[in-house]
Amino acid sequence: MEGELMEADVVVSSRLSFKKIQSSEKYPKGQSTRRWKHLKQILQSENCTPDLPNYVNIESPPSTQPCKRICDVTGFEAPYVDPRTNLRYANAHVFKTLRSLSPDQVHQYLSIRNAAVVLK
Amino acid sequence: MTGDDGDQINAVGRGSMSFVSRIRRQTDYNTYPPSIPIVIDNGASYFRIGWAGETEPRVVFRNIVQRPRHKATGETVTIVGDLDPALMKYFDCTRSGPRSPFDSNVVYQFEIMEYILDFAFDRLGANGSRIDHPILITECACNPVQSRSKMAELLFDTYGVPAVAFGVDAAFSYKYNQLHGICKEDGIVLCPGFTTTHAIPFVDGEPVYKGSCRTNIGGYHVTDYLKQLLSLKYPFHSSRFTWEKAEDLKLEHCYIAPDYASEVRLFQEGTKEAEEKTRYWQLPWIPPPTEVPPSEEEIARKAAIREKQGQRLREMAEAKKLSKINEMESELSSLRFLVKQLDQVDEDDIPTFLSDTGYASRQELESTILKVTQSLRKARGEPMNEPSEGEENTDSLNNEKYPLMNIPDDMLTPEQLKDKKRQMFLKSTTEGRLRARQKRNEEELEKERRNQLEEERRRENPDFYLEEMRAQYKEVLERVEQKKRLKTNGSSNGNNKSGGVGRGERLSAAQRERMRLLTTAAFDRGKGEDTFGARDEDWQLYKLMSKDNDDDDEQPDSDEAELARLTSRLQEIDPTFVQKVEGESLTSGEVPPRVRQLTEEDYKIVIGIERFRCPEILFHPNLVGIEQVGLDEMAGASIRRLPHEETELVEERLTSSILMTGGCSLLPGMKERLECGIRMIRPCGDPIVVVRAMDPVLDAWRGASAFAANLNFLSNAFTKMDYDEKGEDWLRKYQIRYNNL
Repeated sequence: MEGELMEADVVVSSRLSFKKIQSSEKYPKGQSTRRWKHLKQILQSENCTPDLPNYVNIESPPSTQPCKRICDVTGFEAPYVDPRTNLRYANAHVFKTLRSLSPDQVHQYLSIRNAAVVLK
Repeated sequence: MTGDDGDQINAVGRGSMSFVSRIRRQTDYNTYPPSIPIVIDNGASYFRIGWAGETEPRVVFRNIVQRPRHKATGETVTIVGDLDPALMKYFDCTRSGPRSPFDSNVVYQFEIMEYILDFAFDRLGANGSRIDHPILITECACNPVQSRSKMAELLFDTYGVPAVAFGVDAAFSYKYNQLHGICKEDGIVLCPGFTTTHAIPFVDGEPVYKGSCRTNIGGYHVTDYLKQLLSLKYPFHSSRFTWEKAEDLKLEHCYIAPDYASEVRLFQEGTKEAEEKTRYWQLPWIPPPTEVPPSEEEIARKAAIREKQGQRLREMAEAKKLSKINEMESELSSLRFLVKQLDQVDEDDIPTFLSDTGYASRQELESTILKVTQSLRKARGEPMNEPSEGEENTDSLNNEKYPLMNIPDDMLTPEQLKDKKRQMFLKSTTEGRLRARQKRNEEELEKERRNQLEEERRRENPDFYLEEMRAQYKEVLERVEQKKRLKTNGSSNGNNKSGGVGRGERLSAAQRERMRLLTTAAFDRGKGEDTFGARDEDWQLYKLMSKDNDDDDEQPDSDEAELARLTSRLQEIDPTFVQKVEGESLTSGEVPPRVRQLTEEDYKIVIGIERFRCPEILFHPNLVGIEQVGLDEMAGASIRRLPHEETELVEERLTSSILMTGGCSLLPGMKERLECGIRMIRPCGDPIVVVRAMDPVLDAWRGASAFAANLNFLSNAFTKMDYDEKGEDWLRKYQIRYNNL
């Protein structure tokens, strides 16, 4: 190890005294990407009683207030929607820039809002 | 940047708040007896660990792990926390990105968790054969039991911990602040964290999870939003907007507007206030070196060099020409000598004599002589033989090459006739070629003359000429476009509906003709059977049709050629000429892409509206597509969810003690906005008091530390035996009682 690195001491040494089983033994090099269950899977396999609060129970409800519509490009109030691309825009000036966007950018703007149509 | 005590501090942020990473190894591990618990705040953004009863965690770092390969040794090493960019050069980071053990706010990757715990304990100074202290670790509200049990397993089995307790970080923060009188026994804690936001009501000092709610939006989403907006606004600089940079910008410049709509209007109208609120980030930019016009001497020197080079080339050419001339002269003389010799030799001996030299007959020899003399003359620069002499030559050549031409047919044998035909053919082709060449020459001369005329006209009156040209160009363009339009049946540019015949659209003359022919052919002649192809004459129909099409095509050709000529001419002489690209719609093709110099302006990043647009998503998550309530409404939702027997009297008390904690609550303007928002959803006249925690970032750890320092902490913790005996169900119901604080 280079001197600078040793001094900085950022690397975790592979053998620690206070551990009963070292990481290198627990996770042998071959199968380093062990399949851990993702949150969705954990939640599915959880058999929980619905009356007690659990992770799924306490999710917030959807908003009851009317959705705020802001222009995708500038952030102003946007009462209009472009029929071709489904982007919201505030005025004619913004509309001009909208029409000159590349399809890639349009897709990105929409995906920020989670409104992009993904063709698989 | 190093602080007083030599810690490696990466401080980021403004004012008193700082996200500090502290990773120096502590040396006083052994001074703590095994009864003192270790307190861990395991957050999605930062990991904090320290001793119970203290006010500051000893070790703080970002909760991510990287496993790059060491370049020199090739082994894979583990690096926890932010990697110092100066040390990056030792590692090959291609296959390792930073990974977090969290999925949303739940720990699911325990391998990474293990690396993190390794690092944390190591830095705390742990030695000995096991971690001999009870551990208090935070988790998210209503943590799934699988995650909890795996965490307990990890701590018990791998580290040999005697006892473990789990608590919720927001609750610890609230209790800590309650201890210090900031908030009361009953209240609500609002905790916008890194990936999620919680609202948990407290009744009688204990959190009521039944009434809590969680929205999946947090500081991570705000930073991500900012990053994406800036990348889209400035695609040229998109590589500059890394996630870390966006986080820095967020911490420094973002704020929460008291009312989004009115703030936006300020910017829309371009008021002075808006100007003041806009921040500019100037990227480093080096102006391209301006070209100094070359001075007089420079020009003179360059010209002299060029002259010299030209002269050298000319000399070389001269020398070559001379040598060639000499060669040819010598050849000529040798040939002449040969001819003279031939004269002296007998007729019969000619073939044998000539076989040495490589010439077949006397005529060949003479023709070669002629050729060489001609080329010699040309090389010497003497005028070419006049066409008359050429013709004579050709005539004599003709007579020689085509000896059979002039003899009338009936005197020749059939074989000779064939020969004669061949010769006639040859002669006509060569003559044809000659004629074509002549015509081409004439045409070129003609064109030259025309160009000369044009040039003169242009020189006389440049403006007028230009105008004329432009008008002509427009006319021709119109004609060509119209033809095109007719051809494609007037279908517009974006309209891809079929230009097919038979849909009632305008047909050109050619297509009408085609239709007519086809329908007459297909006309049922009454027999009920289609006998179209039976006769050969039927197929002539197609010849007619295609001929019609051809007629149509010839005319536009000339127009298009004219157009091309005009375009090129205009491009030469007119500096402002813009070629109208055919087929482009007028709306988009208006301004041709002009390549202009990049100015300093292009390198200036303007952050105006984004300053408050990004944190707005905490209050309106549907701006980023998450269909849940925002911060202000969460308080209302939480109160609504409380079990009914408690609500009546408690509601007022709840709203009069609302605590903001968590990293995101440091954004300026949040307090006012929350007050406003909550007032809107509560009945009029209710007391609403919103306070920020003393230190939103560290209070969770401090609360946990205070909790662990309490004497009956152990009654809240469970040991390995408990865990083994009582099983998962018990673990699910396990909760600590916060009121000990």
